[in-house]
Amino acid sequence: MEQEQQNSNTMQTGKISNGTKGMTVIVKTVSSWVKVLIFLFGINIVLFGHLTPGGGFAGGVILASSYVLLMLAFGREFVEENLPLPLASKLDCLGAFMFALVAILGIVLGGSFFLNFLYQKYLPGQPLHLVSAGIIPLANIAIGLKVGASLFLITLMLSISCKGRECRFE
Amino acid sequence: MPYALCFLLFMIGLYCAVVKKNLVKIVIGLAIMEYAVNLFLIMLGYRTGGTAPILDKTYIEAGTNKIVANFINTSVDPLPQALVLTAIVISLGSLALIISISIRIYGKYGTFDITEIRRLKG
Repeated sequence: MEQEQQNSNTMQTGKISNGTKGMTVIVKTVSSWVKVLIFLFGINIVLFGHLTPGGGFAGGVILASSYVLLMLAFGREFVEENLPLPLASKLDCLGAFMFALVAILGIVLGGSFFLNFLYQKYLPGQPLHLVSAGIIPLANIAIGLKVGASLFLITLMLSISCKGRECRFE
Repeated sequence: MPYALCFLLFMIGLYCAVVKKNLVKIVIGLAIMEYAVNLFLIMLGYRTGGTAPILDKTYIEAGTNKIVANFINTSVDPLPQALVLTAIVISLGSLALIISISIRIYGKYGTFDITEIRRLKG
C-alpha cells in the first residue's frame, strides 16, 4: 500500500523521490529550487562586504545554511555524495591558507604585516564601487570560504555520530 | 532604562543556567547570557537620533572624494559593533563545542538529567 503510493508519486512528479529518507515531495521540490538562490545570496554578501553590512563571517554562515537545508530535506547521504568529507576539509584549509597568504604578501611587497599592497597606485578604483578598498575583498572571500566549510563540517559530523540512543564515535 | 532591561535578560539566562536540571536547558541559558552581553556592548555606542554608520552616495560631496562633515556628527559609534562581531564568532565556536560534548554525555549515560550523571565514566 505504501509502496504503491510512493510509485504513484514518482510517476506524477517525474522526479526520483526516495520514499524512506528525507521529507515529503513538496519539501524536496521547493528546496531544490531555493537552494541555488540561498547560495547566490551568500556569495553576494561575501563579495560586497566592503560596501554593505555583512562581510566574510555572515556570508559564510549563509553559504553553509544552504547545505544544511539540503541535509534536512534529502537526508545526509545525498549531501555527502555531493560534497564529500575530504573535499570540504580541503576547502576549509584553502580558505585559511588564502587568508595567511594575503597577510604575508604584505611583508613581501612592503614592510609590514597586512600591508595594503593594492592601494590606489596599482589598482585605482572609485569609492562605493566593487573594485575598491584594497585587500579587504580578498580577505572577505577567504573568510567566507573557511566559515562556510567549517559550519558545514560541524553539522555533518553532528548528524553522523548519533542515531537515537546509539552514539558511535570511531 | 534599556541597560536595566539588558541586566534583566542576563539574570534570566543566569537563572536558567543555575536552577534547571536538563542539560539542554543549561546550554540555552548560557546562550541567553551571551545575547545579553552583546546587546549591552552595542547599546553603549548609541547616540540619540543617530543613523547607521554606513557610507552612501548621499554622504559624499559631489565631484571630490570627501565625506560630508554631517556624517561623523550624526552617526552612531561603529567601533563597539566591530568588536561585538568578533565576540559573536567566538561564542558560535564555543556553542558548537558544548553541544557536541553534551551529545557525547547522552551517548554514555543515556539521559540528560544532571542529577543522574554522577560518576566519571571513561
